[in-house]
Amino acid sequence: MILEAKNVSYYYKSNKEALILDNVNYGFDCGKMYAILGPSGAGKTTLLSLLAGLDVPIKGQILYDGKPLTSKGLTAHRKYHSSLVFQNYNLIDYLTPIENVKLGGKGNPETLLGTIGIGKEFWKRNVLQLSGGQQQRVAIARALASEAKLLLADEPTGNLDDATAWDVIDLLKRIAHEENKCVIVVTHNKELAKEADAVIRMETHT
Amino acid sequence: MNSMQRAWRSVIRKPIKTLLLLLVIVTISLLILCGMASRNASVQTQDNTRQAIGAGLRLDANERNRFKRIKEASEHFDENGEGSYGGVHQKIINTAWGPQWSSWADNSFDSLQMDDIKKIAAVPGIADYNITTVITPALPGNFNRIEDADNDQYADIGCVSLIGNRKMALDFNVLSGNVSIKSGRMVEAGDQNVCVISEQLAKANSISVGDALQFKNRRDPGNTTIYESTVIGIYQTKQLMSPKMSGDTYRSENIVFTDLRFPEKAEGYENDPLFEHAYFKIGDVDQYDSVKTAVEKIDIDWERYDLIDRNGNMSTMSSNFNDLAKISTLLIVITFIAGLVILFLIFVFWVKNRNHEIGVLLALGCKKVNILGQLLVEALIITFLSFAISFACAPVITEVAANYLVTQQTEQAQMQKDINADKVLTEYRESEQTVVGVNVAVTDEMMAFCGSGMISLVGASVGIAGISILRKKPKDILSELS
Repeated sequence: MILEAKNVSYYYKSNKEALILDNVNYGFDCGKMYAILGPSGAGKTTLLSLLAGLDVPIKGQILYDGKPLTSKGLTAHRKYHSSLVFQNYNLIDYLTPIENVKLGGKGNPETLLGTIGIGKEFWKRNVLQLSGGQQQRVAIARALASEAKLLLADEPTGNLDDATAWDVIDLLKRIAHEENKCVIVVTHNKELAKEADAVIRMETHT
Repeated sequence: MNSMQRAWRSVIRKPIKTLLLLLVIVTISLLILCGMASRNASVQTQDNTRQAIGAGLRLDANERNRFKRIKEASEHFDENGEGSYGGVHQKIINTAWGPQWSSWADNSFDSLQMDDIKKIAAVPGIADYNITTVITPALPGNFNRIEDADNDQYADIGCVSLIGNRKMALDFNVLSGNVSIKSGRMVEAGDQNVCVISEQLAKANSISVGDALQFKNRRDPGNTTIYESTVIGIYQTKQLMSPKMSGDTYRSENIVFTDLRFPEKAEGYENDPLFEHAYFKIGDVDQYDSVKTAVEKIDIDWERYDLIDRNGNMSTMSSNFNDLAKISTLLIVITFIAGLVILFLIFVFWVKNRNHEIGVLLALGCKKVNILGQLLVEALIITFLSFAISFACAPVITEVAANYLVTQQTEQAQMQKDINADKVLTEYRESEQTVVGVNVAVTDEMMAFCGSGMISLVGASVGIAGISILRKKPKDILSELS
């Protein structure tokens, strides 16, 4: 088990009454794609943030390779253990696709961009000149540039048309299976969730 | 991709942001350089001008001591009150109203003593000296004096005024800037039987440099003796010299500057000169006080003299330029403070505007200090570009600014002088406050100071504005963005 949520609870400090996550326990393995499914407000993105080391749980802990994320620091976890793909791509607007991919890690950007289907003619353009699907592919390439075992995607198909969304899901699935990575995808889309090896259903806390 | 590479790309690919900051830093740098150059120029100008104007000590006879010496001399007269002692003479004259006592003194009694003058002139620090005789009337011989046709000349003695000088360049009328040479030269030490006349007198009599002027002793009833003097120069005045007494004898145009010993000859008192003033020019005005102290320690009869400071314009000039130096310093301080505030606000705006980028970089595992470092590197790249522009433009802009400030200051000083002109009646004329040597140079030291100052300013601004980065949590930023 590469990643484990152990008795994880979380609430926003501004509203301690509203528990977002309540004693969540789950383990994640490499070579699989996980889909976290649930309605808005169920805490999907919050759980993904905790797994990515963007925040720390109020109670419980996240273990990476059996060790708490805080042992080596959240920044180190984000840099070396996990890579993130966002719904709104979050590319750096003054960099080209190649340069954005370089931000992710040491992976060869040209190879990665070629692999995920970004033509050479787009490599040195400003990222804002690319379509939404292309930008998301660049974001995925950036995530793949990292040698991290975890690839965490928050609604990666949320801004894409159906055809592109399916392409992206196929790509993520392939990454999980072929590159032996642990891919965790947060999504609303039940059809897409069906493509995952495991689905985690989250409910709104009452 | 490291912070430096990102910083460089951000600078060149976000031109509006870069140009805005570039403009601000260039402006601040130029203002600082202007302030420094003006301050430097004012200090240099002050020094140059003070040295150029010069300062000196003036030696006059003490009037109270004169009366004391007359009283002492009278104690040596006979029981009738007649006699001579120490150059003072008293004689009884019988008149229709009864006997009257007539008293007079030789020139030697009233004159400054040449030995004393030479002792003072030998003091280290005295660069040069001048002796000026009393204004001595003499009758014109082979020329006509200037007269006012509307004036009744009955009461006038029909003379011109001779002023003898050892070195005319140090005459008070010349030092004040009122008298200057139009052609020829001034009287120098060692000249004999020479004179410098007014342009009006020269024109009225068609006199040129090299001509000989003849004078006669006004006390000689037969006007038998002719005293000849060669014209070596023609002077001009900015405004007419104030006459010492009424009548055309003493009018400005009729004043003839001669060598030191000519007036006594023309008056019939050869070898009995009457030296009224002596002026000692101090070589380095910064040594003024120490030289004066050394002069005061000389063993001469100081009761007989008044030693007068002649450095009033030094303090005026100093105060004017001290004001300018203060204004320049204030400009630098205000620019620094305003620069810090403006740059801080710019970087706060930068950080706020780049929230998304900061959030993404944090999510990708960048350290906060590296993100802050990237902003600092960006700011420094722009700062160094600004330096190139500022330092290239600085010589021209600072010269314009500093000259403007110096001119303003000089005009203000002149205006103040004009306002005060009619308030005090005085014969004393200040030396001309011609500003000399305004040298507005942007030195390497100024550039180094400006450069290090600006780097500190930018560093401090980025540091203060960047505190918010250190407090940011990637999840908060990304939640906000999504």
